[in-house]
Amino acid sequence: MLAWIARGLAQGRITTRYPRGAEPPPPGYHGPVAVLDSERADPALAHLCPTGAIAVDASGGLSLDRGRCIQCGECVRAAPARFAFTERFETAARTRGALVVGDVDHGDERPARRALAQQARSLGRSVHVRHIDTGSDGAEEWEIQALWNPHYDIQRLGFFLTSAPRHADLLLVTGGVTDPMRAPLQRTWAVMPEPKALVAVGTDACSGGLAAASGLVAGGVDAVLPVDVYVPGSPPAPIALLHGLLLAVGRLREAVRA
Amino acid sequence: MSLAAGALELPDYLPEHLGGVAEPAPVDEVRVRLTPLAFGRASQMLHRAGARFITLLSARWPEPAIVGAFAMRGDLVVLRAPTGGADLPTYTALGPWWPAARWAEQELADRHGVRPIGLVALPQLTHPDPDALDHAVEGLDVFSIPYGPVRSGIFEAIQFLIETGGEDVSRIHTRGFFKHRGLEQRFAGLAPTQAVHVAERIAGISSVAYALAFSQAVERAMGVTAPVRAECWRAVHAELERMANHLDVIAKQAETTALSVGHARFQILKEQVMRLRAHLTGSRFGRGVIVPGGVRFEGRISPGELLKAVDGIERDLTRDRRLFLGTASMTDRLIGTGCLPRPLVEEYSAVGPLARGSGLSTDARHERPYGDYRRLGLQVVTQRGQDAMARVLVRFGELSESLRILRQSIDHLRRSDVELAAPLPLRGGGCGFGWAEAAQGELVVWVELRDGHVGAVHVASPSLKNWALFDHAFPNDVLTDLAFIEHSFGLTPAGADR
Repeated sequence: MLAWIARGLAQGRITTRYPRGAEPPPPGYHGPVAVLDSERADPALAHLCPTGAIAVDASGGLSLDRGRCIQCGECVRAAPARFAFTERFETAARTRGALVVGDVDHGDERPARRALAQQARSLGRSVHVRHIDTGSDGAEEWEIQALWNPHYDIQRLGFFLTSAPRHADLLLVTGGVTDPMRAPLQRTWAVMPEPKALVAVGTDACSGGLAAASGLVAGGVDAVLPVDVYVPGSPPAPIALLHGLLLAVGRLREAVRA
Repeated sequence: MSLAAGALELPDYLPEHLGGVAEPAPVDEVRVRLTPLAFGRASQMLHRAGARFITLLSARWPEPAIVGAFAMRGDLVVLRAPTGGADLPTYTALGPWWPAARWAEQELADRHGVRPIGLVALPQLTHPDPDALDHAVEGLDVFSIPYGPVRSGIFEAIQFLIETGGEDVSRIHTRGFFKHRGLEQRFAGLAPTQAVHVAERIAGISSVAYALAFSQAVERAMGVTAPVRAECWRAVHAELERMANHLDVIAKQAETTALSVGHARFQILKEQVMRLRAHLTGSRFGRGVIVPGGVRFEGRISPGELLKAVDGIERDLTRDRRLFLGTASMTDRLIGTGCLPRPLVEEYSAVGPLARGSGLSTDARHERPYGDYRRLGLQVVTQRGQDAMARVLVRFGELSESLRILRQSIDHLRRSDVELAAPLPLRGGGCGFGWAEAAQGELVVWVELRDGHVGAVHVASPSLKNWALFDHAFPNDVLTDLAFIEHSFGLTPAGADR
C-alpha cells in the first residue's frame, strides 16, 4: 500500500485549474462548429447536415443548431468558408434556442441564468449529482466518469456523486430517451427534492442526434422533462461538462470567459 | 468425410457437403447458397465441426434471404438461404441446440417477423419492462432485486434481475435493449462516407472499431482496397482505442476493491491515451478519421511525437501494472470470481478478452487479419484461469501487445506512400460482411449497397454476444461480486442494443 502512495505522490499535481484558469483544447480540436459567414447562403447548404442542424431562411440567413450538431465535420469539409470547428470546449447554454449560432437573435439569456443561480444558492458548495442513461452511445458516460479522475477532480469544486436520486440536486441525463427509459427517467426526476436542476448531456440528450430520425427516441430530454442546462457535443469533453455543471449551479462567474 | 478432421483450411467440398452451392466471395470468406430447409442442418454440421456462431440476419439484397455467418478455421462461412419472395421465411431454429444463436434468433423474430420452427421463445428480450419481476426460483426467503436500468454510479442502462437468499446468487437474469435506438435503420439512404458517422455512434467507446468494421464491409462489398498508409493509421487509432478501453476496465476493477490510488493511476493512464487521441484526430474518441476507402486525414502529430507519447505511456503502465498485480487485496478479490468454463464459453460463441480469458484463442485480427494486421504478426494473449483475474491478465497482456503493434504501425507509416484514401465507385453496389476486433471482441457488420448508397445494415456486436453469458457467470459467487464480474466483462450496452 505504501508503494501506491509513493507512486501517487511522485506524480505531482496534474489537476486542471479550471475554472480559475483556462484549459484550452489541443490544436486542431473538433470543438463546437461555428458559422463564419451567415449571409446570402445557398439553401442547398442545409442538405450537408445528416442531423438537420443547418438551416437557411428565406432571405439566405444561415444558422446552425449546436443542439443537433454531432460534430461530424461534413459541413466544415464541404463549405470551409461558411463553417469551422472552434478550438474550445465550452458549449453549454441555459436555453435550447441559445444553442443556435449564426444568423439568429438570441434575446437575453441573463434572466434565465439569474433564476437558475437563485434556485441553486441554497445548495452552497455541496452539490450531489445523479446520472441516468436514457439511450446514449456510451461515450458520454466515459466523459462524465472522467470528471472524477485526478485530471479534473470535480470534488474540489464541491460536486459529489450520489447513488440515490432522493439525495441528488443535479440530474445528468444522457441519451435521447428511448421508450423503455421514459418512465424510469420521470420517476427518477419526481423523487428528487427541490431545488433541483436537470442537465442534458450530449447532443443526443439535447435533440436525439442521429437517432432522432428513427422514431425510437423521444428526440431529446426536453420532450419529456424541462431541461435547465444543455451541454451539446458528441460527446462533450470533460471541461465542457464542468462548464455546464457550473452553469447549472449558477457559479459560472468563477469561470474564465472564452 | 468429416469436417471435424484436423485440417487447417476449409475443404473445397464444403458448400456441397453442407447441401448447397458455392457463390463467389471475397478473400477469407466462403459463401454457400442453399434452401431455407437445408439451413438448419447445415448450421448443425458447422456447429459439430467446431464453428463459432456469429450472427443471423434477414437480407433484402440481391434477394430476400436468411443469412447466417459462422467463423471457422480462419474463414467466414456465410450461409445464404433465399426465401423466394412474398412469404415470411422459415427455417429450423438453431437455438434449441446452440445457445449462442438464441438472442440473435429472438431479435430476428421480434424485429423482422422471421419465426423459425422450434424457436426458443425469450419473451421481452427486445421490449424490456423494468417493472416485470419474473421469478424463476421458488423458496422461502428468496427475493428478487431488480438492479437497473437506473444504475448507481455512472453506468449505461441495463437491468439485472437478481434472485438471492441474501448472499448466494440463485439466479441472475440480464435484461438489455433499454437503449435500442434503431440505428441500423438510420444507415439507409446515406452515402457510405456519411453513414460512417452512424457507425461511430452505435457504441461510442468503440467508435473506431465500429467505423472500421463498417468501412471494411463497404470496401469488401464494392471491391475497393484502402491504401497502405490508411491501413497503418487505422491500426494506430484502433490500438489506442483498445488501450483506453482496457485501462478503463482495469481502473474500474481497482475502484470496486476501493483501491483508490490504483483507480486514480489507471484513470490517469486512460486520460493520457484519450488526450493523445484528441491531439491525433481532434476527437477524444477518434471520430471522423476512418471512412470507407481509407482515412480522412493524417494524424495531427508526427510519427516521432507519437512514438515519444507511446514510450511515456509504456513507462507509467509498467510501474502501475507491477503494483496492481502485487496488491493482494486486489488480486484475491478477482481470483476465482466469475468463473466461465471453456465449454460454456464455446457453446455461447463468446468473443474478445472474455473468451481469451477462458483459454480460447479467438481474435479477428489473427483469424481473418485485415489492414495492417496482415503485416504485424499479432500474438493472441490467452489465459487459462477462466475467472475475472484471467480476464484482467488478458487485458494487461493486450496492453503490451497494443504498444508493440503501435510501434510497428508507426514504423510502417514512415515507409508508406502518401495516399490516404481510395475512391469508392460512384454508383457501386453489392453486399457483404466486414469485421474488426473491438476492445470488447469480434465485431461483424453486414452491409447492402445499391447505386452507391447504403441500404440495409446489420451489426453483430461483441457486447450482445457476451452479455448472454452473464446469466451463467455466478456459479459460486455472491451478490457483492456483481460489480467485479460486470467490469471483467467490459461490455457496452449501447453496442448490444444499437
